[in-house]
Amino acid sequence: MIEQLGIKEIVLESAKEVFETMIFMDITETAEPDSDIEGWAILGLITFRGAMEGCLAICCSTPCAQTISMNMLGIDSAEQVSEADTCDAIGEVANMIVGRVKKHLAETVGNIEISIPSVVNGREIKNNLGNDAELVTAKVNIEDKYVAKLSMLYRKSSK
Amino acid sequence: MGKSLMIVDDSATMRKIIMRTVRMSGLEFDRTEEAGNGVEALEKLKGGVVDIILCDINMPEMCGTDLVKRVRQIPDCNGTKIIMVSTESSQELIDSVIADGANGFICKPFTPEKFQEKLSPFMN
Ligand SMILES: [Mg+2]
Repeated sequence: MIEQLGIKEIVLESAKEVFETMIFMDITETAEPDSDIEGWAILGLITFRGAMEGCLAICCSTPCAQTISMNMLGIDSAEQVSEADTCDAIGEVANMIVGRVKKHLAETVGNIEISIPSVVNGREIKNNLGNDAELVTAKVNIEDKYVAKLSMLYRKSSK
Repeated sequence: MGKSLMIVDDSATMRKIIMRTVRMSGLEFDRTEEAGNGVEALEKLKGGVVDIILCDINMPEMCGTDLVKRVRQIPDCNGTKIIMVSTESSQELIDSVIADGANGFICKPFTPEKFQEKLSPFMN
């Protein structure tokens, strides 16, 4: 069954790979409350369908998203990254994480097709993606500075 | 003569990241172009062909796999090498896009070493 595949572990492993390779930051799972994400936050979301359907999201505070985009672009000052760059970067982070998840799932569940990323920039974004399917969430600590929340909502396709 | 490069990706940020990673890999290009999708890339190629195209797959308007097929129909682009750069990395997809005429595949997330490895054979 899907539960036994350890979806959460796959999501965390995929995110770790993306953060280490492209963002040059270490992440570890944390139980910290996500007060960091309250207030202005950015959410990058990718939907997928195929052997499994659902969506994967990463949500973090605006300063965290800025740091991520600065690291990805190799820029040292926050003034040099535009809001568009920051949103774009978070969309690409979600995109790369789901790409790794897809690779892991291909061996067990089957193929999934992934969408182009959507990014939401707003206040008090609630990351409840629905309730008719399985939802796994994992909070990660980024270099002891920020907390981001990863979530994946999925169900096995009836097709 | 130096080489020319075109980066095709729907994310402007990803295009900058790819450009930076190419620079970090030590490869040097005389001319670099950018396009946000396949349609834009074809339009820019009309203004002058390039030696190497780094091409995303998931893009609006025209995806990377369609762009490869279209570029391969342009006689002037016979010598153009196309390297796919994508989060998608199933062997099936890699095989099919190579069969369509792509010359290589780099998976996102990537490192400068990967670009060095995949591009240097085409730099002479
Ligand atoms: Mg893309």
